[in-house]
Amino acid sequence: MRDSSCTAARARAALSRLVWPLISAAVALVGWELLINVYPMPSYVLPAPGSVLRALIAGLGESPASRASFIFHLADTLRATILGFVIGSVLGMALAAMMAEFRIVQRVGFPYVVGFQSLPKVAIAPLYVIWFGYQIESKVAMSATLTLFPVLLNSLQGFVSAERERLELMASLDASRWQTFRHIKFPGALPFVFAGLNLGIVYALLGTIVMEFIGAQRGMGVIVTQLQTVSDTAGVFAILLVLAATGYVLIAVVRTAQRRFTFWTSQQGWARE
Amino acid sequence: MSTLIPEFRNVGAAETRSPLLLTRKVTKIYPTREGRDVLAVEDISFFLAAGEFVSVVGSSGCGKTTLMKLIAGLFPPSAGEIVYCGQPVKRAQRGMGIVFQTPVLLPWLTVLENALLPIRVLRLNRAEAEARVKDLLALVGLSGFEHTYPFELSGGMQQRAAIIRSLIHEPHLLLMDEPFGALDALSREQLNIELQRIWLTHRKTVFFITHSITEAVFLSDRVLVMSNRPGRIVKELAIPFERPRDFDITTQADFGRYVHEIRQLLGGSKDA
Repeated sequence: MRDSSCTAARARAALSRLVWPLISAAVALVGWELLINVYPMPSYVLPAPGSVLRALIAGLGESPASRASFIFHLADTLRATILGFVIGSVLGMALAAMMAEFRIVQRVGFPYVVGFQSLPKVAIAPLYVIWFGYQIESKVAMSATLTLFPVLLNSLQGFVSAERERLELMASLDASRWQTFRHIKFPGALPFVFAGLNLGIVYALLGTIVMEFIGAQRGMGVIVTQLQTVSDTAGVFAILLVLAATGYVLIAVVRTAQRRFTFWTSQQGWARE
Repeated sequence: MSTLIPEFRNVGAAETRSPLLLTRKVTKIYPTREGRDVLAVEDISFFLAAGEFVSVVGSSGCGKTTLMKLIAGLFPPSAGEIVYCGQPVKRAQRGMGIVFQTPVLLPWLTVLENALLPIRVLRLNRAEAEARVKDLLALVGLSGFEHTYPFELSGGMQQRAAIIRSLIHEPHLLLMDEPFGALDALSREQLNIELQRIWLTHRKTVFFITHSITEAVFLSDRVLVMSNRPGRIVKELAIPFERPRDFDITTQADFGRYVHEIRQLLGGSKDA
């Protein structure tokens, strides 16, 4: 039932959703520019929007091979974030599955998870520098560490909340533990798993940036600290914009995967008698 | 145990065949958290002959479902014995199919993939099973719905798909736990007719649990009447009507007599 008028209506709705954020952004930028003109203040405190834009264009315009290029650093940040996210997610799901399936693993492991959870995990960063050095490894380790916990806890919740009747159906077929996990528990837990992955991707980027602050040679976090030492506030703002856009894209990718793999959740209950 | 309508008792004929399933003085006690034990079913003895359609009628909470799960081997009885194909039931039996009160379809699988789940779990031949799914879909009027998802189907259609899943691995015994209890009256009648057709086509042994007296009398060769908790079988009635039956027989006087007798046994004006 997607006729053209329906599509047009949807496009209009999408546009009207965009209108207000765009207007508010324009108002904020104009206000910012005016504020600086009315109350002049040093550019290292609050740079003008124009100079932020110039810094952004300059940073993005540099050759990607140059250390002044945002792309050069963003590539390293992205690589560490994605690698850490994948490792942390897989580990989180695997540990959750072990805990859900084997009581002894949960008995032994869960107190550590809770304990670790209450630790501010970025405090481990200096330790990771000692263990993994100043290269990408320590960043991957930190982003994997931060990803692990939300994925583990949400997945565990998903695995243990499999519907009793589905389990009885499998039991009636004399299904093995693995078959029950693969056919019932894992797919059924995907909405929970994705709740964890949505948090995980945000934490993965956070972990990478924190590690780049503490000890790294490349990455967006590294140039933020470099620009800070020379009081290039416009440059810092420009990098924050790039990071915000990066985070937005990463979240959108996970959300798209979520819609693809849990398509049945939004439809449940539809057309029931 | 004597019956009020002895001329209809043809149980003797079934008893001479070797029973597919036999329970001897089966009792199930559930421990509860407060330490009080609940006696769910007590002293249940009956048999199912191969190819028979037998219903259990009882009010809610009388232990019907417990009895079905005992037969399915989902848990062991506290006392007594269940014998299936000459072997004591110790665990889940591959030769049984189950239909629950709700369809219990997996929402992430299509109708075809849902129906094939037992084939995948039991590692049976998929190509043959796919052909059987097609035949069964045609039998219940769901042809062309292979690739739809459960959420696109009505409740009655979902339960039809669940019945196909229960039959796909060609079980000898079909266990049905109030399969049409959640449906509206019209879908329910229609599915009763369809179930009879499936049964006449495939001649499975069916153990059918319901709280609808009409449904039990309409579908069954024999009806076992179960008392309130602890569930006991208080009466066994043979239902002799010719098959295929259509819903008009439910208005006949003979039919009404069975319904009336069962209702009396269940203690008054429960639903029909």
